[in-house]
Amino acid sequence: MKQRHPRQFLEPLCFLSPALVVLAAVTLYPILYVLWLSLQRWSLIAGGHGFIGLQNYVRLAHDGRFWNALSNTVYFTGVSVALELVLGLAIAVLLHRAFPGKGLMRAVLLIPWAVPTVVSAKMWGWMYNADYGIFNYLLGTQVNWLGSPAWALHAAILMDVWKTVPFVAILLMAGLAGVPPELYQAARVDGASPWMIFRRVTLPQLRPLILVVLIFRTIDAFRVFDAIYVLTGGGPANTTETLSIYAYKILFQTLQFGYGSTLAVVVFFCVGLITLAYLRAMRKAGA
Amino acid sequence: MLGCLGLLVAAGCGRRAGVETSGEETTLVFKHSKFFGNPGAFEALLQQFEKENPGLRVKSETLPNSSDEQHQFYVINLQARSVDFDVLALDVVWGAEFARAGWLKEIGAWFSPEMQEEFFRAPLEAVAYGGKVHAVPWFIDAGVLYYRKDLLSQTHRDAPKTWDELVAIARQVTQDNPGLYGFVWQGKQYEGLVCNALEYLWSNGGNVIQNGRVVIDSPENRQAVAFMRDLIYRYHVSPQLVTTLTEEPSRNLFGNGKSVFLRNWPYAWSLFQQDGSAVKDKVGVTVLPHFPGKESAATLGGWQLGVNACSKHPEAAERLIRFLTSYEAQKALALAYALNPTRKKLYEDKDLLAAQPFTAQLHQVFERARPRPVTPFYVMISQHMQTEFSAVLVNLKTPDDALKTLQAEIDGILKQNPAANVSQ
Repeated sequence: MKQRHPRQFLEPLCFLSPALVVLAAVTLYPILYVLWLSLQRWSLIAGGHGFIGLQNYVRLAHDGRFWNALSNTVYFTGVSVALELVLGLAIAVLLHRAFPGKGLMRAVLLIPWAVPTVVSAKMWGWMYNADYGIFNYLLGTQVNWLGSPAWALHAAILMDVWKTVPFVAILLMAGLAGVPPELYQAARVDGASPWMIFRRVTLPQLRPLILVVLIFRTIDAFRVFDAIYVLTGGGPANTTETLSIYAYKILFQTLQFGYGSTLAVVVFFCVGLITLAYLRAMRKAGA
Repeated sequence: MLGCLGLLVAAGCGRRAGVETSGEETTLVFKHSKFFGNPGAFEALLQQFEKENPGLRVKSETLPNSSDEQHQFYVINLQARSVDFDVLALDVVWGAEFARAGWLKEIGAWFSPEMQEEFFRAPLEAVAYGGKVHAVPWFIDAGVLYYRKDLLSQTHRDAPKTWDELVAIARQVTQDNPGLYGFVWQGKQYEGLVCNALEYLWSNGGNVIQNGRVVIDSPENRQAVAFMRDLIYRYHVSPQLVTTLTEEPSRNLFGNGKSVFLRNWPYAWSLFQQDGSAVKDKVGVTVLPHFPGKESAATLGGWQLGVNACSKHPEAAERLIRFLTSYEAQKALALAYALNPTRKKLYEDKDLLAAQPFTAQLHQVFERARPRPVTPFYVMISQHMQTEFSAVLVNLKTPDDALKTLQAEIDGILKQNPAANVSQ
């Protein structure tokens, strides 16, 4: 084996060090600090401050509100990401065909994604209004969209789908543009039906991109905060309280930094696990 | 974000950055939330104070808009023993919390029992902790019942005294006027829901904490909470959409002429009386109803003035508080911003009554006002109450279950922190 000269090592390190220092300061330090906080009893309101080991995690395991928030979050993530993928794919395939006004359609498509979440949540709040909202007007119903446990979370999911389908569609459209036309030609020569072509050509070709889309969307959906906070504030009866909203209420309303950090750490690990699972799936797809 | 918080925590009081005493002149920093209206009147008041107190200057700084952010700002800075402000305006529910933490200086002897007599009782209860007064009431607020005078006189009914009367009138009027809602209030899961719910509990003789004991799981409270739910599902006088309502949406419903009754705060009055309002001159206001044989109650809101325990100029800071809570200053602010004074005498003031005749009617409302549970852990307790009351209103829990849960949860919070539980 060839011995490496120390300079070969040091030189790149010198160039990299500013970036490493910045990364450590803005990413690593806060993460470690929150981890450290999660092992403390520290509440600004109740006072008291000290190391308590894993007690916060034990409390978490017995906290019904945490499990409720986790299940809300998982449900929200699963349903909204699945819908976004299906609808985004459909729109991408439709818009991929050449037709007059295609450019305009693409631009229009992006509008929901471009509107700030808080603004669109306010807007959707009005549309969901049970008294004068457009949904009840068009449907001729009197549904209490944001005020009944059966509807509230689904109302939030619908808004999230509306907002992020464009993002999914645009990314997948880019993927479709990269599929070699010869593949389609060959499939057609072989007499494949449109559905077969979609299943056997389009989908496999899009697979790596679909995984990227899923990573982005799943992580985003798992941390959802602003959309739901503006729509319902977590109510009624915590039926729309996600992990981020719960963590916010503990951290910034009741200022329990210890326990709130524990919640933040759990969200962090959940997101980490999701990312790892996707990365493995990607590696498999690549192989 | 949390990383920065860690750095802020320090033992003793800190040093003031920026503004500092220069020569003979002392600068007081006064933190308060924004005034809605022309800032001139408030500035003129501060200038008058500076003129009466040579060598003293006042720098007024406004807080962020949302109550959560204001609370965060104060707690983080006071915890870090900040000396960047001397006088602070605080919400009525923070008094005990700040006092327990030792962040507020006790108010001096000038605020004597005789002088306290001149103020409404409820805000004084809210700022007393461990037998000491930690802030002086500045403005007062309380829940009131608005009703449609025109619709009630059509049916030859007076304003309701009891909750049953309210239900009966609402049903009668909505029968004659289809499309109207009977009674709207704030039923969304948030602090406002607690304010609403407590009025039902109290007006049935119930309470949350009494003499340091949790008493929320009582027959009176079960009946009161069940009544709230029944307003929606049994008597059908409140639409199901009350579970999404906060102050403004409910005010809009009533202001557009869509409801017979509304529970809200006094601020709504002037908006109903504006030109172009659909209910102009058709609105009456009265104290909230009560259950048979019990007394009406209104949840207290409002602002108090306290001195930062770390202030370098505590004596001057108190002088500013004394000035701002004086009869004249409260009158000037009431005239300029329609904020309700905490001194009872002002409700007989000729100028004020001429300018704001509505204010006089509020006197009896404020007499009946009651503070939300005065405990340092109120914000924690409130979160639990928001969840449980909301669960009853959407039929996920029975009142019995919800109150049992609350009894256990509030008990748990107070037991975890026994020493702090001195007051009430």
